[in-house]
Amino acid sequence: MPATDFIELSLDHCIKCTICTAACPVSAVTDLFPGPKYVGPQAQRFRRDGEAPPDDTVDYCSGCRVCNEVCPTGVKIMEINTRAKARIVESRGVPLRSWLLGYQYLIGRLACGPLAGVANLFANLRWVRVLAEHLTGIAREAPLPSFSGYSFRSWARRHRDPHAAGATGRPKVVYFHGCATNYYEPRVGEAAVAVLEHNGFEVIIPEQGCCGLPLLSNGIFSHGRHHHQYNVAQLYSYAAQGIPIVGTSTSCTLTLKEEAPELLAMHDEQTRVVAEHTYDIFEFLRLLHERGRLNTRFRRIKRRLPYHAPCQQRAHRIGRPALDILELVPGLTMVESEAACCGLAGSYGYKVEKYRIAMDVGAELFDFIRASGSDLAVCDSEICRWQIDHGSEVYSVHPIELLREAYGLAPGA
Amino acid sequence: MRDTIVIGAGLAGLMGALALAEAGRRPLVLATGHGATHWSSGTIDVWGQAASGGPRAAVAAVIAGDPDHPYARTGVAGLEAACARFRQVMQAAAYPFVGDLHSDLMIPTALGAFRRAALVPRTMSAGALQAGDRVLIAGFRQLRDFYPPLMAQNLRSQGIAAHGVYLELPPVNRNLDFTTRSLAQCFDDGAFRAHVGAQLARLRGDASHIGLPAVLGMRHPLDVIAELERHSGGQVFEIATLPPSVPGMRIASILERAIVAAGGRIQIGSAVLRGVADGDRLTTVISEAAAREQQHRAVRCLLASGGIAGGGVRTDQTGAVWETALGLPLAAPASRRAWFASRSLDPRGHAIFRTGVLSDDRLRPLDQRGVVVYRNVTIAGGALAGADTIRERSRSGVALATGWAAGSRLAAIEA
Amino acid sequence: MSRSLTADVLVIGGGATGVGVVRDLALRGIRAILVEKGDLTHGTTGRYHGLLHSGGRYVVKDPQSAQECAAENEILRRIMPHCIEDTGGLFVITPADDERYAETFVAACRACGVWVDDVPLAEVMRHEPRLNRKLRRAFAVRDAAADAFLATEANAADARARGATLLTYHHVTDLELEGDRVTGARCEDLRNGEAVTIHAAYTINAAGAWAGKIAGLAGLDIAVVPGKGTMVAMNHRIVNSVVNRCKPPADGDIIVPIQTVAVLGTTDIAVPDPDVFGIEPDEIALILAEGEHLVPGVSRMRALRAWAGVRPLYRDVAAVDDRDIPRTYKLLNHRTRDGVAGFVSIVGGKWTTYRLMAQEAVDLVAADLGIAIPCRTAVEPLPPVHGAPKSGHLTLGGRLRHVESEELYGDVICECELVTRRQLVDAITTGGAANLDDLRRDTRLGMGPCQGGFCTYRAAGLWHELRGADDAGGADAAAALTRHFIQERWKGLAAIAWGDQLRQQRLDELIALEVLGVDLLPAAVIADGARHPTVVTEHAAIATEYHAE
Ligand SMILES: Cc1cc2nc3c(=O)[nH]c(=O)nc-3n(C[C@H](O)[C@H](O)[C@H](O)COP(=O)(O)OP(=O)(O)OC[C@H]3O[C@@H](n4cnc5c(N)ncnc54)[C@H](O)[C@@H]3O)c2cc1C
Ligand SMILES: Cc1cc2nc3c(=O)[nH]c(=O)nc-3n(C[C@H](O)[C@H](O)[C@H](O)COP(=O)(O)OP(=O)(O)OC[C@H]3O[C@@H](n4cnc5c(N)ncnc54)[C@H](O)[C@@H]3O)c2cc1C
Ligand code: SF4
Ligand code: SF4
Ligand code: SF4
Repeated sequence: MPATDFIELSLDHCIKCTICTAACPVSAVTDLFPGPKYVGPQAQRFRRDGEAPPDDTVDYCSGCRVCNEVCPTGVKIMEINTRAKARIVESRGVPLRSWLLGYQYLIGRLACGPLAGVANLFANLRWVRVLAEHLTGIAREAPLPSFSGYSFRSWARRHRDPHAAGATGRPKVVYFHGCATNYYEPRVGEAAVAVLEHNGFEVIIPEQGCCGLPLLSNGIFSHGRHHHQYNVAQLYSYAAQGIPIVGTSTSCTLTLKEEAPELLAMHDEQTRVVAEHTYDIFEFLRLLHERGRLNTRFRRIKRRLPYHAPCQQRAHRIGRPALDILELVPGLTMVESEAACCGLAGSYGYKVEKYRIAMDVGAELFDFIRASGSDLAVCDSEICRWQIDHGSEVYSVHPIELLREAYGLAPGA
Repeated sequence: MRDTIVIGAGLAGLMGALALAEAGRRPLVLATGHGATHWSSGTIDVWGQAASGGPRAAVAAVIAGDPDHPYARTGVAGLEAACARFRQVMQAAAYPFVGDLHSDLMIPTALGAFRRAALVPRTMSAGALQAGDRVLIAGFRQLRDFYPPLMAQNLRSQGIAAHGVYLELPPVNRNLDFTTRSLAQCFDDGAFRAHVGAQLARLRGDASHIGLPAVLGMRHPLDVIAELERHSGGQVFEIATLPPSVPGMRIASILERAIVAAGGRIQIGSAVLRGVADGDRLTTVISEAAAREQQHRAVRCLLASGGIAGGGVRTDQTGAVWETALGLPLAAPASRRAWFASRSLDPRGHAIFRTGVLSDDRLRPLDQRGVVVYRNVTIAGGALAGADTIRERSRSGVALATGWAAGSRLAAIEA
Repeated sequence: MSRSLTADVLVIGGGATGVGVVRDLALRGIRAILVEKGDLTHGTTGRYHGLLHSGGRYVVKDPQSAQECAAENEILRRIMPHCIEDTGGLFVITPADDERYAETFVAACRACGVWVDDVPLAEVMRHEPRLNRKLRRAFAVRDAAADAFLATEANAADARARGATLLTYHHVTDLELEGDRVTGARCEDLRNGEAVTIHAAYTINAAGAWAGKIAGLAGLDIAVVPGKGTMVAMNHRIVNSVVNRCKPPADGDIIVPIQTVAVLGTTDIAVPDPDVFGIEPDEIALILAEGEHLVPGVSRMRALRAWAGVRPLYRDVAAVDDRDIPRTYKLLNHRTRDGVAGFVSIVGGKWTTYRLMAQEAVDLVAADLGIAIPCRTAVEPLPPVHGAPKSGHLTLGGRLRHVESEELYGDVICECELVTRRQLVDAITTGGAANLDDLRRDTRLGMGPCQGGFCTYRAAGLWHELRGADDAGGADAAAALTRHFIQERWKGLAAIAWGDQLRQQRLDELIALEVLGVDLLPAAVIADGARHPTVVTEHAAIATEYHAE
């Protein structure tokens, strides 16, 4: 049996129980999507190898993987859907919008830096968004993040590790920042570097490209493959030495770990070694703690904060490492949302026909956050944070920013 | 970090986790996916075969006659304790249960057959009809999982004056796939309820009871029922139908919330692959995850992975049978030839479905020689050998009693 | 109670052959009645392998069959494209096979006029990613997948439209004899026990593997050997084209992709009686083990169901092995052969050659009746039928495309096989279905992975509303139908229920017993004693339990 096959073959496990459809946040709010059981294991029996699928509704799958999470038999539903989407793209060509959403980072590369102010102004002008919606199908209301006035990489070049002086033989760790940190939210990367250095690590920030997830979820597999190959080439030498690769973007780390290798059926040694050495940053910190190596001298933070575990984080299947660590901070109480998904799901909610769906999906989360009365929310995924800001108008941070605060490390240090 | 592991998020696993959480053990529940909770009808069936003297007496008789039955591990007292705590938790979440262990309620299925249940949610209890009752069975054509005329006619053939009708679907902004869940969402909307209530008032005639499919709201079904009763003037009850089960989902989420509130954590989507042991102590539980397995230190572990339906037991063409999470020894038929009876509905059931883990009187796993495999592991629910709980109609009773007992006993184990 | 009917010709047997015969008669304007003891395709036609033969399988040992198949293949593609999926076929040499056979095979194909083409292995692998990577040779042939349910329905619809009468659940119990002439038959209507006598100038015995039994009713002896074959359907399409081992025909050497499943088979075991046979565990093991040569890993994939059918093999030469009996058909004119007039038997053959068999039988009968109208079945296309595309060939994705464009997903009653409310309502109200298993043959209800776990209750609910809501027995009938269908589905499951399919069974049990209480309804069996006018669930004449030893 070819190794590429296990995603499709997982449909054999389906016992038709409909648990997935009862949990799918998208089919809960729209008639346009019949739900995971239909478009996944069921429709797959009607699709021919290598041909465009006969069904279009699969395109409304947001890729959130809630179905995979609840399925009692282990069907890889979301992967089946994504492969079907890719075959639609293959047969019909890639729409302009998918290119734009898939290559967001190129826009980020242009707009981030000194021009950010102008770019942000421009990007948020209503007529610009209306025009863009007409031209490209990118929803005018969808939350576009603000470009940062400097990139994370430019910060990193200037940054001097305060612990470096005199220290030799410190353990090393590679930091994968991803596009969002680089162009929009350098503060998250700065916090990650600060926390890792505070725990005695030397942080390496190698050349890296977009993880390619936006391309994969828009069905542009061939380009996604190039991106992944590039990143593997950049990261392999570290992984081969046993140096862990940690990331703050739950979707980038998931892509490195599993999404790209599985969807693209890349089963070579280098891809595997990189995947096996990639960690979500809190997963990594939790491992440190389990080995008694985490610095646990925290300041008291007397707060009660709402927390949302993003679907891309849950898809790592590692529990709630951010909560496990933040629980150690005296005075801090985290309250977890029960919402399945924020709705945005990568680039899904940016599409004009899906914007409303995304907002409806996110409603439960927005309500939860607003009801908490807190002026601050916590969430590991940048995309979710933008959606939370947009939907609930509560400012949100990555848990690593909270942890830096608990360590008493001032921003910018 | 967390060192109490519960494997399985069905009724047994959740009750066990609740016991552990309430004892301060901060359990981590690992499960491949949701459990049989989402498939079941949402009642607690203690012993469904015809029995005299009610469920309590029936269980006492089962224990006396079969010392290896799962109920023998908890005793009647264990069952009572589990039911009591279960009812409190449900009550606290405004989803009260009625009934007791002295007598069964006879409630109708969506086919119109009467089945026994010891505890039923208040939303269903008015369905305990008596001969001579007049009842309206109402549903929606858009729900392919419920057929009022068929159910009503079967009730009539059992002496109940029943009438089945289809309601007009109130205006909704949806038109496609009405599942039990999407209809339950509709009932969360006031205008929808009022529209249904008005129709029921019109159609009720002289019926004193009104039965509807179990879709009367996800979070506040009692309010929905009260409102429909106000409109219609009849006693309204829910009837469980095909999966996914709204009543089942309600119970599962109430239990999950109670576990989290008591300090537990639930990690769905993580299948347990195996365990690592040091002699007769399990030390580590390993679960599946992206790119790398996840290791969990295990000071104590509850296995509630269900039987063949739950995925806790797998089989193959050669007749091999194995326990999927910890690889514990199983009691199973010797060969495939002995798996099945020739008729599907044979009342004795099929031997293969009795497969499970043998346990000692403290619910610890035993091997074929009767030696305890791991001292810090207990077993509950469908994973236990010795009963075909579907034929007995004792699935939820066994899950509840053994889950609670296994969790409570495990909580006492020290590192 | 009794009824009496008259026709020019009586046809016994509602399989491919019988229905083909009755259509041919109707096309020639001959008044005909067909009787079938169960539903149409109740016999072998509903339990075969689904292969429209190219002839390739028979080129070496049975050239006549091969030529017949090759010719009929082209004709059927023309007259019933909507019942055939043009999958194409392959003959492959696996590492377990003798590579020298390739030359024998190709030469024989050429000699028989069976189209064959050598295909580069790389190309085969592109189209068939799950096939054994170690194949040594591959040849393309004109094999295809045929849906016998649709094809029989199309023939039946056309025959009815042209004036023929098709009576299902009519069991022939005796032949009417006047001197040396067969003048019709006596039947029992299994739905109500009524005795039905049919008078006809001519009787055509198209009872397949039961043809020997029917001839026996006239005191005639014809040696029809029921050759049982078992097949295993896998949960999804594993291959895209028909795949045959390129070697002398043997057990378990073909995979046919048919609709949503792939069917592995078959075996060939002579059985004494076409009504009594089992599916043996050894057969299943052998089929899966042989399948491994073609698709490594197949025996670990999910099996959906197993079934067995009986070949109507006509033995007129001394054959040692069943497989040595020629697969060609034989028309027996009992007047010239046995001195009994008004009676012919058409025996043997294959599904692929049903039309030719019908033509030959009707040519003889028409000549005897003095009717000179020639056969038109080779050129007259078959009408559209529900469940088949309106134009072009059957395709795998067709039903999904249809649901997406024309139906609400909420109206899909059998979710696995995408059977819609509309289709079922139509089949229940207009068809002759007498139970849910007949609806299955009409629509594919309950044929998917869950094997009726969810849709049995739904179909029973619809049936009750449309057929039985008013009469007193309606609910009893629905209960009997439900239990009957559960047992019908179970029959084909016990042999392959392990792994995922066993888990499915347990969920199905949970639904049937715990949720619905199917077993708790007041006992109601619609059988010999208490009959229901439109429902037949259990009757000895149509019982098809697999009696495993
Ligand atoms: C809300 C509710 C309503 C019910 N209603 C009824 C009723 O009306 N009548 C009745 O008789 N019973 C009812 N039941 C009982 C129910 O049907 C079962 O009795 C009960 O769930 C027993 O099963 P279990 O807990 O042992 O396992 P299951 O419910 O089968 O759950 C097994 C769990 O284990 C997980 N699992 C399996 N293998 C692994 C692995 N290797 N690693 C990790 N996880 C694994 C599965 O994903 C699943 O979460 C109900 C239960 C509930 C909770
Ligand atoms: C395992 C197997 C695999 C096969 N695969 C293929 C294949 O892939 N391709 C192919 O072309 N051919 C195949 N065949 C052969 C093909 O299926 C048969 O030749 C064909 O279906 C026979 O059709 P029929 O109409 O002659 O017989 P049947 O379909 O058996 O019809 C005879 C009918 O007569 C009815 N009958 C019997 N007794 C009475 C009575 N007393 N009163 C009323 N009715 C009665 C029966 O109920 C039955 O419906 C296969 C056969 C088998 C067994
Ligand atoms: S990935 Fe998310 S949107 Fe897609 S089917 Fe699964 S649950 Fe639904
Ligand atoms: S939850 Fe899993 S097993 Fe159930 S219907 Fe969905 S895919 Fe199938
Ligand atoms: S997924 Fe990560 S690397 Fe890829 S575009 Fe988003 S932020 Fe960039």
